[in-house]
Amino acid sequence: MELHILEHSLKVASIAKEGIQLFTHGLIKLAFLRSRTGCKFFSLTETPEDYTIIVDEEGFRELPESEFLSVAEATWLALNVVSGGGSNSGSQPIGVTKIAKSVIAPLADHNISVFMLSTYQTDFILVRERDLPLVMHTLAAEFTLLRVINGETVAANSLAVTNGFVKPKLVQRPIIHPLSSPSNMFCVTSLDPETLPSVATLLMDVMFYSGGMKESAVAEDSGHIRFFSFSLIEGYISLVMDVQTQQRFPNNVLFTSASGELWKMVRIGGQPLGFDECGIVAQISEPLAAADIPAYYISTFKFDHALVPEENIQSVISALQTSSDQRK
Amino acid sequence: MSGSKPDILWSPHHVDRYVICDSELSLYRIESVGTTLLAINSDTPYMKCVAWYPKPEPECLLAVGQANGRVVLTSLGQSHNSKCKDLMGKEFVPKHARQCNTLAWNPVESNWLAAGLDKHRADFSVLIWDISSKFTLETSVTAEKIRLSAGDTDSNLVVTKPLYELGQNDACLSLCWLPRDQKLLLAGMHRNLAIFDLRNTSQKMFVNTKAIQGVTVDPHFHDRVASFFEGQVAIWDLRKFEKPVLTLTEQPKPLTKVAWCPTRTGLLATLTRDSNVIRLYDMQHTPTPIGDETEPTIIERSVQPCENYLASFAWHPSSQNRMVVVTPNRSMVDFTVFERISFAWSSTTSLMWACGRHLYECTEEAGVSSTEKDISTKMRDRALSRYGHDTEQVWKNHLLAGGDDSQLKSLWYTLHYILYMYVLQKPLGNKHPIVYSGIKNIVKSGSGSTENARCWNGSELKADVIRYHNEERCLALQLCGWIKKGPEIHVEPFLQCLEQEGEWERAAAIALFNLDIRRSIEILHKGATSEKGDLNLSVVAMALSGYTDEKNSLWREMCSTLRLQLKNPYLSVMFAFLTSERGSYDAVLYEGRVAVRDRVAFACMFLSDSQLPRYIDKLTIEMKDAGNLEGILLTGLTKDGVDLMESYVDRTGDVQTASFCMLKGSTGEVVKDPRVQCWIENYRNLLDAWRFWHKRAEFDIHRSKLDPSSKPLAQVFVSCNFCGKSISYSCSAMPHQGRGFSQYGVTGSPTKSKVTSCPGCRKPLPRCALCLMNMGTPISSCPGTAKSDEKVDLSKDKKLAEFNNWFTWCHNCRHGGHAGHMLSWFRDHTECPVSACNCKCMQLDTTGSLTPSDTAQ
Repeated sequence: MELHILEHSLKVASIAKEGIQLFTHGLIKLAFLRSRTGCKFFSLTETPEDYTIIVDEEGFRELPESEFLSVAEATWLALNVVSGGGSNSGSQPIGVTKIAKSVIAPLADHNISVFMLSTYQTDFILVRERDLPLVMHTLAAEFTLLRVINGETVAANSLAVTNGFVKPKLVQRPIIHPLSSPSNMFCVTSLDPETLPSVATLLMDVMFYSGGMKESAVAEDSGHIRFFSFSLIEGYISLVMDVQTQQRFPNNVLFTSASGELWKMVRIGGQPLGFDECGIVAQISEPLAAADIPAYYISTFKFDHALVPEENIQSVISALQTSSDQRK
Repeated sequence: MSGSKPDILWSPHHVDRYVICDSELSLYRIESVGTTLLAINSDTPYMKCVAWYPKPEPECLLAVGQANGRVVLTSLGQSHNSKCKDLMGKEFVPKHARQCNTLAWNPVESNWLAAGLDKHRADFSVLIWDISSKFTLETSVTAEKIRLSAGDTDSNLVVTKPLYELGQNDACLSLCWLPRDQKLLLAGMHRNLAIFDLRNTSQKMFVNTKAIQGVTVDPHFHDRVASFFEGQVAIWDLRKFEKPVLTLTEQPKPLTKVAWCPTRTGLLATLTRDSNVIRLYDMQHTPTPIGDETEPTIIERSVQPCENYLASFAWHPSSQNRMVVVTPNRSMVDFTVFERISFAWSSTTSLMWACGRHLYECTEEAGVSSTEKDISTKMRDRALSRYGHDTEQVWKNHLLAGGDDSQLKSLWYTLHYILYMYVLQKPLGNKHPIVYSGIKNIVKSGSGSTENARCWNGSELKADVIRYHNEERCLALQLCGWIKKGPEIHVEPFLQCLEQEGEWERAAAIALFNLDIRRSIEILHKGATSEKGDLNLSVVAMALSGYTDEKNSLWREMCSTLRLQLKNPYLSVMFAFLTSERGSYDAVLYEGRVAVRDRVAFACMFLSDSQLPRYIDKLTIEMKDAGNLEGILLTGLTKDGVDLMESYVDRTGDVQTASFCMLKGSTGEVVKDPRVQCWIENYRNLLDAWRFWHKRAEFDIHRSKLDPSSKPLAQVFVSCNFCGKSISYSCSAMPHQGRGFSQYGVTGSPTKSKVTSCPGCRKPLPRCALCLMNMGTPISSCPGTAKSDEKVDLSKDKKLAEFNNWFTWCHNCRHGGHAGHMLSWFRDHTECPVSACNCKCMQLDTTGSLTPSDTAQ
């Protein structure tokens, strides 16, 4: 397996809901006018609490400074796992499940904090730039490490000193954060970038307006959650939205898989999780991997979100409950 | 493609039809003038790529790849053909929707359609669909899960199970099937090119590269593949797949299409974005790479079919070098890429040029008389008629040259007189014969001349002319051919000679200049009464007989004006001479139509010592400037003469005449002039180029006779296998230096044929591969070993050529033997006579297949 270390230097930021109008200009540019910004990595996720932005340095310049904008202090690098060949056939576990054992658990063992972003196309594992030597050291055994420099993929030399890295203690990772599962169902989809202009107004409406405070309050009462994610990474668009939102799009614009799966969400965290705690993704992904349940995982500024197949939600809940029970 | 940019597809089987696809599909038929729109199909929105079914039936079946990854079969301009009816509208749906980037029909297994999709997580990006497969319900579990989007009610037409799935966790941007095997698929994946083998799908061959777009196989060379990335095209050799065999010069703008010409080998056309030119790369002369680092030469050209930017282009599948381009606003241009023309002159005046598959030849027509033949044709004809080789009667060479060139005639007469005088003077012991140095130098060397007023011969009239005389002037007259020898001015033999040739006017003039007016009249009368005589000559004779020395007579007055109307220059100068003032003969001397030798002879008779050199100098310069060979009379075979010949060669290119002429001079200095050497070498090369090898040899012999310094020394020696010394080594002590061949049996004489061992080390020389006799043994002395039929052959030739005795060998396998044996062997065989050696000796010899063109004589 290959692990690609992408060249984007990423910033993770949060925009408070009440300040969003200050940023719409920049965000629209980033989302719809790719050629104007030079930005190659952009993700916007709306949660009931805030808007989480993941953007590379080129794109970050589009965002004005404001009291409503809080930025995580570190620079992040995106890792991407590319499995070598088509040797394994049949249904593949999707998302974090696949990489739980190979990437997420080892990183958690080494106390490396990760920030996950699953898209329609792939999973990105964001790590702090300063952690990179340790990351490479940790994963060198399992992966062929390749680094993307100016678009060229070259072998990354893990020249980094191996001394001084603490040998990890292999411990059980019980789930320590409270979990919740909203009632609405989600789909993970994409669309042809060339058709983006035709749905731009609809997307803007979904991103910035439809989540009015009042409406969302009502929604949350009934177990619904306001959650929408848009990402435009290296020319590929990925969308995560609930079924209600999806129905607002015209036929044939969104890519729907032949099987048309729908997903339920598991929200992780009662208090904002912060950026320093390690092992949260691992806590969730390991039990799911053990049960061979595919999952998407989207971290935001305050909370983490896992998407699991709707038909599996019961087994997910039981698996996670077992895991959290171990704590006691 | 979707959106503004149209693309073109030629029908694979109907050479006059093509499809333009942008937001819809339009079928056009190309006609002698313009195109006709046959049908439009707008059933398939979100088109990303289109591929035309490769088999003739059902015709016009198209696969369309859509933005959501579905592949739809559709057709254009079809009556409801039962054959493809059940295929129309059939959809192939991938598990996860993403853009379909490329489609490729398998050219052999035409049911197979490969689709290249964008990346989706761990899903496969290369799907191979079987279009004949029926929709099969999968296991009930998955069937439940299938929630097809609205509109897919007719689910009988939807296929979700591909035949093969390849390229997991990757994106596929371009595809093509390899003609090497129907189960090999070349795919441009994300950052690598991969070859999938459907016989073993778990393995793939791949190479990391950025050039992954638009993979396409050269239809003429199945291991050659082109792919591109941004502005750069990479050419790959599948047998050596590690890196591109070459990359073409990078274009400033990203490429949009790359296509091999289907009708011509090694021609690749490329188009970049926002460009109105198509660039062509001609790898026509690319040899299949032998060494690792051989960079083949590529000829780059561009064609501009129209003013506008081009959206796409497509080669016509069968019409040579033809393509159709389409602009973004759908205007189409049908044009043919013009071939590069390469042409070559042959050594025999014909011109050949190649254009595409045609070879054109342009030759001089045989019967053309109106235009003068080209000098090379003339030289070739003259070489065949042995021009220049008559050393006995040198003047006859002008007849060998055709006898129709007055300059050549004058030249060869001059040379004839020079050689004649030289032979006469030789006994006098003149070391540097002055006859070679030309009249210009002869008259300058002369001492003062005697003047004498002369009377008309056979007439009482007193002539008012002074004739000058000395030894040098006499010599000059001899060179001019007026008199034979001796100090006496006796022109009668020359006059008789001219009479015989029918040159009446010239004879009459010369008689007159010799103050024999009666003889002159007599000659004119003879001319008038001769077989083809001109009666006007009698009239001239009558006019001449009225000559009077009276200064103011009517005769003088009328003659001096009316003479200008005489067409013949000699008749004209006769009257000019008679009517001229004493001592001023410009009307005669500068009459350009009169032969130089006659004017010079005239000048030598009538110009004073001060006038004569001035006149000769002036005339010499004139001749040199004009490159007129008559001037050789004045310059002789001196440096001046070479100058004159140089301007003649510059004007005519006739190196043949120049070579022969200068060889006659043979005063060392002249022949050593680099210009002369250059002419000689060029003439020899020309003879070689015409394959006149015998003529060339003849010329060399002729040359070595006249110019002993040119005798070539042996430059090629045969060295002994054992001691490495030349086997003609000992001949340095022999008198026949440079004829080393005689040392090992060329002559075939019994005494010399004994040299069968190296003169240096006494080891035996190699054996003939056929008769097994040592080198140096003549073939006549080896009966029995050769096959019987050969023996007959050889014995017949025995007397003809000693060449049969020569030893020859192949430069490749080093086997050889007697030339005669080898010749007869290779008459029936192509391989070396030595058993177990399969060297094709005769074919390796490029001149072996050539025959000399001058063997006719």
